[in-house]
Amino acid sequence: MKKICPVVFCLIFSIVSFAQNELPDIKVKSLSGEEFRFNSLGNMSDTVLIVSLWATWCVPCIQELEAISEQYEKRQKETPFKLIAVSIDDSRTTNRVRPFVKGKGWPFDIYLDVNSDLKRALNVNDVPHVLVIKNGKIVYQHNGYVAGNEEELFEILKTL
Amino acid sequence: MRKTQLFIPAFLFSIFLSAQKDNGHFSGSFESFTQYYHKDDKINAIVPPDKIGSNNFLKLDYNYKQFTVGVQFEAYLPAIQGYPYVLNEGKLVNKYFKYNANNFSVQVGDFYEQFGSGLVFRAWENRQIGINNALEGANVHVTPLPFLNLKAVYGRQRKVFEYAKSNVRGLDAEIDFSKTGKTIPKTRVAAGFSYVSRYQEYTGPITDFPATVNASSTRLDIGGQVASVSLEYVHKASDPHDANNFDNTSGKAFLTNLTVAKNNFGGILTFRTLENMDFRSERESIQSIGLMNFIPAITRQHDYLTTNIYVYNAQSMGEIGGQLDLFFNAPKETALGGKYGSKFSLNFSHYRGHREMNELFSFGDDEFFRDLNLEWKKKWSEKFSTILLYQHVLYNRLVIEGEPFPDVRTHTVVLNALLKYAKKKAFRFELQHLATKQDRGNWAAALTEFSFAPKWTFYLSDLYNYDVTDTHYATIGGSYTKGGTRFGLSYGRQRAGLFCVGGVCRFVPAATGITATLTTTF
Repeated sequence: MKKICPVVFCLIFSIVSFAQNELPDIKVKSLSGEEFRFNSLGNMSDTVLIVSLWATWCVPCIQELEAISEQYEKRQKETPFKLIAVSIDDSRTTNRVRPFVKGKGWPFDIYLDVNSDLKRALNVNDVPHVLVIKNGKIVYQHNGYVAGNEEELFEILKTL
Repeated sequence: MRKTQLFIPAFLFSIFLSAQKDNGHFSGSFESFTQYYHKDDKINAIVPPDKIGSNNFLKLDYNYKQFTVGVQFEAYLPAIQGYPYVLNEGKLVNKYFKYNANNFSVQVGDFYEQFGSGLVFRAWENRQIGINNALEGANVHVTPLPFLNLKAVYGRQRKVFEYAKSNVRGLDAEIDFSKTGKTIPKTRVAAGFSYVSRYQEYTGPITDFPATVNASSTRLDIGGQVASVSLEYVHKASDPHDANNFDNTSGKAFLTNLTVAKNNFGGILTFRTLENMDFRSERESIQSIGLMNFIPAITRQHDYLTTNIYVYNAQSMGEIGGQLDLFFNAPKETALGGKYGSKFSLNFSHYRGHREMNELFSFGDDEFFRDLNLEWKKKWSEKFSTILLYQHVLYNRLVIEGEPFPDVRTHTVVLNALLKYAKKKAFRFELQHLATKQDRGNWAAALTEFSFAPKWTFYLSDLYNYDVTDTHYATIGGSYTKGGTRFGLSYGRQRAGLFCVGGVCRFVPAATGITATLTTTF
């Protein structure tokens, strides 16, 4: 076992330079139950796409989406972007997503990843996790949320 | 072990070569959760002989056009305290190959899958709880007609580092009636049917013992612009096994959801009744091992220290009940919303036993669990916002924990306030109090957190049982995040109790020590 640890660590570091930037071909569902392929959702030429992986039971996820929602109109004028929020709620809570979102009044498109297939394909460990996509490539990602992360996100949007 | 050591570099080297030529790409993730324990008599903390626990997961995927291959290596050095299995080794556990075309995909190796809501079949992973029910075999998805989705699975279930000694096969078909015509109607109607069968050899003396157990599910979803309804009925044939005390009656479940969502309002009503629905890949399995289907507690999943003390665990042998959720957004610049807007939510769940066995739709006298909670979220200014929560719980200890003690009734209040005092700097605090006359009596909790976005956070929290045990569960910690990588370090006490993620719980023992976590996505 002692031998394998350094091997694993070396591998991790050798991998970093080949970070994921392609979008996986995984099906997600819309709130009405229709299936969409994630890679085709993400392939918007020129407009920057923000993808937020979240869940109804995740407090920081909701704080982040609220914070972005509050500044949505203002920031749209500076740098137009589109945001899709993919919920990883499983069947315990997946039915809560639609009324929850309506009760929040969020201006985002919502999709469901009921058995975490997309989360796994994107190699995301925990929610919240945000991806910034331009021309079908992942150009930035961030795990976790603390108040103020949205400022960093808007700064990145300006540079793209 | 030797095989693994040779396999990983060889595998990666081939990937490296292909990636260099710009053919395909690869990605992965690494997660490590390590605890160092020390003795703490005050909370009867159990210290393992090695004083350390470390769970590690490395996942690698390589994708080339329509092909994907992937592996998952797990190392428990040894497993953390309270993990469902005693392990002290590492192993390359999951391996898969996938081909994905437009209307067809096939995955060979270890895979995850879910039919319908999962009441009849779900293969999934949850690392915190220690569940990995991946099937090793083949999973085929076909869309022969635009309105028809078919899934077929065959394999054996993963059981910790081994495989269950049984075969699982399943079929799922879903018809989307809204796609059968030329125009797409505003209301979507879809129907589904699933069939799952498990065979485990039986060599005992009973002549007509069911070595094969078949289960089926029928479901219907009707979704409009404003309202939607879903229904599911599951039947499981006679399946005497350890976890259901060798009950040979058949299992039944019925689940329905009614959802309404319009403008700034949303509501959902869920009703579920279950009888003898424990379904395992092996008859000998108990606790969270070998689960074939997914029976979560349909209750609100709480997030605070005091609201997570008395949590429900679904009773797959028999329960009836449901949940109501209402969400309301009072927009900015309205009388109720004020200048910055306000949000309200109400949640109520209630579960009880059946009156008699075999009466799926009867309400018995035995109340298992009740949770009523109200939440008010208000933004007071650009910088300051608060969340106020009230919760009332009734918790049947005899049913949920198997302990012969009276029901626990609690009243809890939580205040969560956030002050964003600079563009990227924030201060957050929580004040909580749980009042009860039963069990260990009253609890109080406080938490403060300083965050410096996007990289640093520091927190200090204390959960204090000031009534019966007079015990503080204090924790201090912090984390550093950069892009997809996060490192966290904390020191403190962990309360013994049910630890629940996604509606499935495991019991964690009391522990005191240092916890380090590292997660990265690459």
